[in-house]
Amino acid sequence: MKKIGKGIGVSFYGTGYGNGFPDVSRAIIRLLPEGKIGIYCGVTEVGQGAKTSMRQIAAEVLGLGVEDIELVHENTSLMPDSGTAAATRQTYNTGNAIKIACENMRTELFKKTKEALSLNSTAGLVLENGEIILGFFPQKRISFKELAEIYKGEKILEASGEFTAQTTQMDEETGQGAPYWPYTFNACAVEVEVDTNTGIVNLLRATFAQDAGRAVNPQLLEGQMDGGFAMGLGYALFEDLNIENGKMKNNKFSKYLIPTAMDMIDIKNIIVEDPESTAPYGAKGIGEPVMIPIAPAILNAIYDAIGVRIKELPVTPEKLMKAIRESA
Amino acid sequence: MKLNVVGKSVVRVDAYSKVTGSALYPQDIYLDDMVYGKTLRSERPHAKINIDVTEAEEIQGVLKVFTYKDVPKENIHGVVLKDHEVFASEKVIRIGEPIAFIVAESEKVCDEAYNKVKIEYEDLPAVFDPVEAMKEDAPKVHGESNIIFNYKLRHGDIEEGKKKCKYIVENTYYSPMVEHAFLQPEAGLAYLEEDGTLVVAVATQYPHYDREEIAINLGIPEENIKVINTAVGGAFGAREDISPQIHLALAAYTLKRPIKVIYSREESFLTHSKRHSMTMKYKTGADEDGFLQYMEAEIIGDSGAHCSWAINVLRKAGVHATGPYVIPNVKVDTYAVYTNNPFTGAMRGFGATQVPIAHEQQMDILAEKLGMDPIEFRMKNIFRLGSTTATGQVLVDSVPLDKCIEEVNEHFNFSEEAKEGAI
Amino acid sequence: MVNIGLTVNQKLFEISVDENLRLIDLLRDKLGFHGTKEGCGEGECGACTVIMDGETVNSCLVMAFQANGSNITTIEGMEKDGKLHPIQQAYIDAGAVQCGFCIPGMVLSTKALLDKNSHPNRDEIREGISGNLCRCTGYNKMLDATEMAIKYMEEEKE
Repeated sequence: MKKIGKGIGVSFYGTGYGNGFPDVSRAIIRLLPEGKIGIYCGVTEVGQGAKTSMRQIAAEVLGLGVEDIELVHENTSLMPDSGTAAATRQTYNTGNAIKIACENMRTELFKKTKEALSLNSTAGLVLENGEIILGFFPQKRISFKELAEIYKGEKILEASGEFTAQTTQMDEETGQGAPYWPYTFNACAVEVEVDTNTGIVNLLRATFAQDAGRAVNPQLLEGQMDGGFAMGLGYALFEDLNIENGKMKNNKFSKYLIPTAMDMIDIKNIIVEDPESTAPYGAKGIGEPVMIPIAPAILNAIYDAIGVRIKELPVTPEKLMKAIRESA
Repeated sequence: MKLNVVGKSVVRVDAYSKVTGSALYPQDIYLDDMVYGKTLRSERPHAKINIDVTEAEEIQGVLKVFTYKDVPKENIHGVVLKDHEVFASEKVIRIGEPIAFIVAESEKVCDEAYNKVKIEYEDLPAVFDPVEAMKEDAPKVHGESNIIFNYKLRHGDIEEGKKKCKYIVENTYYSPMVEHAFLQPEAGLAYLEEDGTLVVAVATQYPHYDREEIAINLGIPEENIKVINTAVGGAFGAREDISPQIHLALAAYTLKRPIKVIYSREESFLTHSKRHSMTMKYKTGADEDGFLQYMEAEIIGDSGAHCSWAINVLRKAGVHATGPYVIPNVKVDTYAVYTNNPFTGAMRGFGATQVPIAHEQQMDILAEKLGMDPIEFRMKNIFRLGSTTATGQVLVDSVPLDKCIEEVNEHFNFSEEAKEGAI
Repeated sequence: MVNIGLTVNQKLFEISVDENLRLIDLLRDKLGFHGTKEGCGEGECGACTVIMDGETVNSCLVMAFQANGSNITTIEGMEKDGKLHPIQQAYIDAGAVQCGFCIPGMVLSTKALLDKNSHPNRDEIREGISGNLCRCTGYNKMLDATEMAIKYMEEEKE
C-alpha cells in the first residue's frame, strides 16, 4: 500500500572554527594597470561560488562591476592566508576581510584623488563606474585608470584588510561560552510516499526556507540549497558504506549510491533575509546548513505516513520493511 | 541600503571555463618529463608491518619506492592532533593507510612494482565499535586511551527540569559514516622551479595549511614551497586533511622530476575522511503547556583511526544538540573515540548534521504526546531574537527562524491538517 | 598495437594504440581533449561521457580500438565559430555549474537528449541526465538550463 505523509525539520548552525580559536581572514587589494582592482586572498573556490561572491562584495564597495575585479587566490606565494574553505566561514569571515580591505583601498583612492585634483579634502567624493567623482561638482573627477597610470610599479596603490571572528572559548566543565558567531537558521518540509510493500520512499513535494542574512547572489544560493537538499536526501535514504571489520564494502559508485536526477524533485526554495549587523552587507554563510534539515524532515514524514519511527540511517527499503514488520 | 552588485544573480565567473572543458583540475595538467606515483595502502585494520621494497625498486622504470624511512623530518600530520603518519612506520591502524609511494616512468610500471612491494602483516587485536573502544581493556589505536575528547555541557538543573515535565521521551538514534563523493577524485602534481622552489598543485580546501604540513615533514622553509590550488571538483570537507600533498612534494623534492598522481575512485574512498558515525541517546521533556524543560544527551562519535577534526566535530555536535530551541535544563556529553575504522573528519554540517536526526524526531514525538501539531510545538520553543542558547550565548542579531518555519508552513499547512485530523 | 582512425570534433586522427588503451585515455592523454573527465572508471558517474556516432557512451568503458572509424564529439567540439553551443550558454545562464567536474559529461548528455527529443518535459530531462552524477547542484538548475537551451535553440532557428 502507498501511504503519504509530511514532515518538517529545522536547524541552526554556528559559523566558523568556533570555541575562541583565532578565526582570521586576510586580503590585500591593489590598483592594477588599466584601473582594474586586484584582490589577493586565500579564498578557495570549491564549487560554492566564492570566486564570484567575493568579487561581488569588492565590486559593491568600490563602485565597480564584477568584470573589473581580478581575484588571485590560487597560489600561496601570491596571497595571504585566509583560512580554510570550510565551516561555512568564507562569505562571513573572508567576505568581511575583503570588504574591510576594499574600504581601506577606497580611503587610499580618495586621498590620492584629493592630491591629483588639488582638493581641500576628501569629503564629498564618491565612487561610480570606475571613477572617483566629487558628488556635488561632477566635473571634478578622475578614473581608476588615470590613477593607475600615476601609481604604478613601485608606487602601486595597495591596501589590506583583516577580519577576526568574535567567539569565546567554552568552560571545560560546563561548556558555557559563545562558541560560534553568527548562527544561521532554516526549515524544510517534505511530503513523501511510502510503499509499504517494497519499503521504497518517494519524495513528492518539498519547501525549503534558508536564512542567509542577505543573499549575495540568489542564484548561487539556490544552487547550494538544491545541492544541500540532494545530499540530505542521499544521507536519509541511500548512502551506506557498509563497513565490516574496518573495511568499506561499498567503496565505489556502483555500490555507494548517491542521488541521481531521477531521485530529486523540484524544490520550492525560499531565501529568508534578515541582515546580520557584523556580516558583509549582512550576508551569513549557508554552505553547510543547507543540508541539515532535510534528513530529519524526511524521517518525520515517513512516520507521518506509516506510523513507524526510523532511528537509524539510511532508511533503505530493507530497513524500512524490517521496521514495519517489527512495529506490527 | 541601496546595493548595486550584492544581491544580484551575477553569472559565475568560472562557469565559462567549466562548460567548455577548459578548467584545469590537477588531472588535466601534463608536464614534460613527468613521472607517476602510486600509493600502496594498508589492507589490514590493525597490524604490525614489515616493508621490503628491494624487489620493486629493481624493476626497470621504477625511480624509487618511498616509505617512512625516506621522510626527512616528522612523518606526521593532522589538522588538530598530529596523529596521521605520512607513511605507516611500525604499525598500520586502518585499512587504506598509506605505507609506500611508488614512483615510476609510467603508471603501468607503477602497477607492476605495486605487486612487488613486500608487506608482512602481523595482525593486532582491532576495535571497530566506539562503545567497545571506550572500555579500558579495549585494544588501543594510539597511546593509552581511545577517548580523544569529551565535551561537557551543563546548563540549569536537570533534576529540577525533569520535575517540570509532563512527558519525557527517550530514544537512541544512529547516524552512520558517509562519504563526501565529490566527483573529482584526488590528484596532484609536484615539481621544482628553476630557483629550487617546490611547487605542489592540488585541489584543496586550504592551500596554506597544506604548505605548512609539507614544510614540517620535508624540513624546508614554507617560503620555499608554493601550493597551487587548481580547479577543485567538489570538497564538502574531504579536502581538508592531507591526501597526496606530502607524497608528491617528497618525490619531486628528492627525485628532482615532475610527478603526477591520480587516485581511482576506490582509492579516493580510502584516502579521505568520512562523516562521523554517531550514536545519540536522547531524553527530552516538555511541560503540560508544551514548553521544553529538560534535555539530556550522550553522543558517541567514531573518529576511526585518526583524530582529524573529531574534537571540533564532537564539540559542534554538543553545542547543536538541543536544536534551535530554548531548553532551560540541559546536560550533554559528547565523546570522540578512536577505532580501527576508516577515519572521520569534516563533512558538510560537521557534527551539526547528525544531531537533528535525533532532536527533530524527539520534537515530533513530544508534539504528538502533547496533542500539538509540529509547528505549534516548535514555535513555542524556538530561538528568537534575544534567546539564550544552552551554552549561555545570547542571540542578539538576525534570528529569523520563526520566519523560516512560517514560510514553510505556508506551503504545507501542518496546523490545518492536524486540526482536521483531530475532528 | 592497433592502428585506428577516428573523427573527434570533426577532425580526423590516425593513431597507433595499445589494445588495452581505453577511449578516455586516448582522448585525454594522446589527443589532448582534457575536458573529458574520469570520475569513477566503472561507467557509473558519467563524467567521461562523449557522443559516439550519435549515442552517449562512457568513454572509460570503451576501448580505444573499438572507436575505430567512429565519429566522436567531446565537450571541446560543442562550440561553433567561437560561439558557445546554446546548451553551454544555458548552463551558464541558469546557474547550473558549481564545481564543474560533471559538467562536460552532463552537457553532452543534454545534447544527446535534445538531438533525439527536441522538447522533453522535466521528467524526460531527469531521465536523460540520470546517467550523470552530480554531487553539487541537486540537478534542478540543470533541468532549468535544458529548458532554457530549448528556447535558445528555437530562437536561433527563427
